[in-house]
Amino acid sequence: MGKIPASLRPAISATSLLKNPPVIPKDQLGKVPIKRNPTQPSHKILQPQQPQPQHNQRTLFKSRDLTEAKKIYTSFISTAKAPPDIRFHNSFLQSYASISTVDDSISLLHHMIKTLPAFSPDRSTYHILLTQSCKSPDPSLHPVHQTLNLMVSNGLKPNQVTVDLAVRALCSAGREDDAVLLVKELSLKHCKPDTFTYNFLVKCLCKSRELNGVYSFIDEMRDVFDVKPDLVTYTILIDNVCNSKNLREAVRLVGVLRDCGFKPDRFVYNTVMKGYCMLNKGGEAVGIYNQMRDEGVEPDLVTYNTLIFGLSKCGRMGDAKKFLRTMVDAGYVPDAVTYTSLMNGLCRDGDVLGALVLLEEMEAKGCSPNTCTYNTLLYGLCKARMLEKGLELYGVMKEGNIQLETAAYATLVRALCKEGRVAEAYEVFDYAVESKSLTDVAAYTTLESTLKWLKKARNQGLAV
Amino acid sequence: MLPQRMKKAITDNPKKLSNLIDLVNLPSTLREFVGQSQTSRLGCFMRVWSYIKTNNLQDSNNKNVVICDEKLKSILLGKARVELAELPDLIKLHFPKSRK
Repeated sequence: MGKIPASLRPAISATSLLKNPPVIPKDQLGKVPIKRNPTQPSHKILQPQQPQPQHNQRTLFKSRDLTEAKKIYTSFISTAKAPPDIRFHNSFLQSYASISTVDDSISLLHHMIKTLPAFSPDRSTYHILLTQSCKSPDPSLHPVHQTLNLMVSNGLKPNQVTVDLAVRALCSAGREDDAVLLVKELSLKHCKPDTFTYNFLVKCLCKSRELNGVYSFIDEMRDVFDVKPDLVTYTILIDNVCNSKNLREAVRLVGVLRDCGFKPDRFVYNTVMKGYCMLNKGGEAVGIYNQMRDEGVEPDLVTYNTLIFGLSKCGRMGDAKKFLRTMVDAGYVPDAVTYTSLMNGLCRDGDVLGALVLLEEMEAKGCSPNTCTYNTLLYGLCKARMLEKGLELYGVMKEGNIQLETAAYATLVRALCKEGRVAEAYEVFDYAVESKSLTDVAAYTTLESTLKWLKKARNQGLAV
Repeated sequence: MLPQRMKKAITDNPKKLSNLIDLVNLPSTLREFVGQSQTSRLGCFMRVWSYIKTNNLQDSNNKNVVICDEKLKSILLGKARVELAELPDLIKLHFPKSRK
């Protein structure tokens, strides 16, 4: 990511002299690469049924033709010296399933059992077919039932892993209602979902259904199958209603949660606080913070960031800075989110210089600005009519291939047009489209309406 | 993020959006320039703007002004010089509002 140019700094020298900021070699800042731990292989341990032959997957099957696949299998079996273990068979089936239809995969499995009687399919073999059938384009649950029946008739009862795989596959295909049907059916016949599956499904339902639909699912699961919502479920629900700005429902849910014998934890409080902050209700957010303290729930980085974000957003910069100090005293290190929230607040107040001072402080502490920081500053500079500085920052963003956000883009285009620099506004439009910051439509609509506004302003003699 | 923004744009003003991105049968003058018989208003704008850029038609003294070549003149009311600011409006003229 690019570095804020030194030339942006003279703008702040007047204020920063008073504060005497520490001198830091600039070229060392903003360049600190975040090294990710090479822990990626750990994921693979979780998927034991996909061993070596995976490499061949792409080339193994050129067509979905069943007879071809059967031939390949037979040749594999006849050439192999030692009988391959079950993982080989499973991944063979997996690679065929990834390109074929459910019926063909089932036929292949039958063929595999017939050619090699020593091979007895295990649970994960059927899970491969199950996942495939959940993703099949058939709008009914018929293929899913087919594979489940096959599994049961071979003496393997579906367990919680089965339920989980099916639910996740169905939800990822956007078939939440089918997932609900299947969960109910499996709970009735074989096995109830575990809390992770249940919560995952609730989360997906929140996205696809109205609130009442989600509640009726939860009620039914509790009344019929004795699967009760836990604290995580409630947090998901509260998050959902907070995102739709229904704070009254959120507060009711916190009450319900207490009635069920749960004690709200940090995550519940953070979520409710976020809800208030989005509605610019700084006072209520602070109220939640105090409530947390009273109940002995330790605030974390997210709590402080949310609080500072909310207070900055509703213009209570003094309080926001107070909490910044509280946060540091409590041993938390402010991150890019904290600083960007504060800068956002300062820019709203029209104090861009203050925001630039903060940028300096942020970099001095070794915290590099993110996309949002750049956009906030660009927005602030354009709003404060410091177009030249804004353009300089825009240049840096362009160099670092940093995406523009809607507000920053619109303000920059407008500021340029106001100065009669339409050609440069067009360039910004080009960058927004090229860098895929905005959709073509959004970028163009903004440009068009700004030019329309310019025409009007020119007619009234307000713009150049 | 993006689909949501897109969704918002559509729910905000579906007519305005369809007016911008719907494919429209082009009048013959425009058809010659674009090289297609159908395009959207947005597509047409992009085509004209990229044509201006690739052929360096902006006035070197004042980048805000486009000096039209013959091809461009044919679709922009025959003007010799066009301000970039009026480009969207000029293109809009080819896309009358009430269709169908």
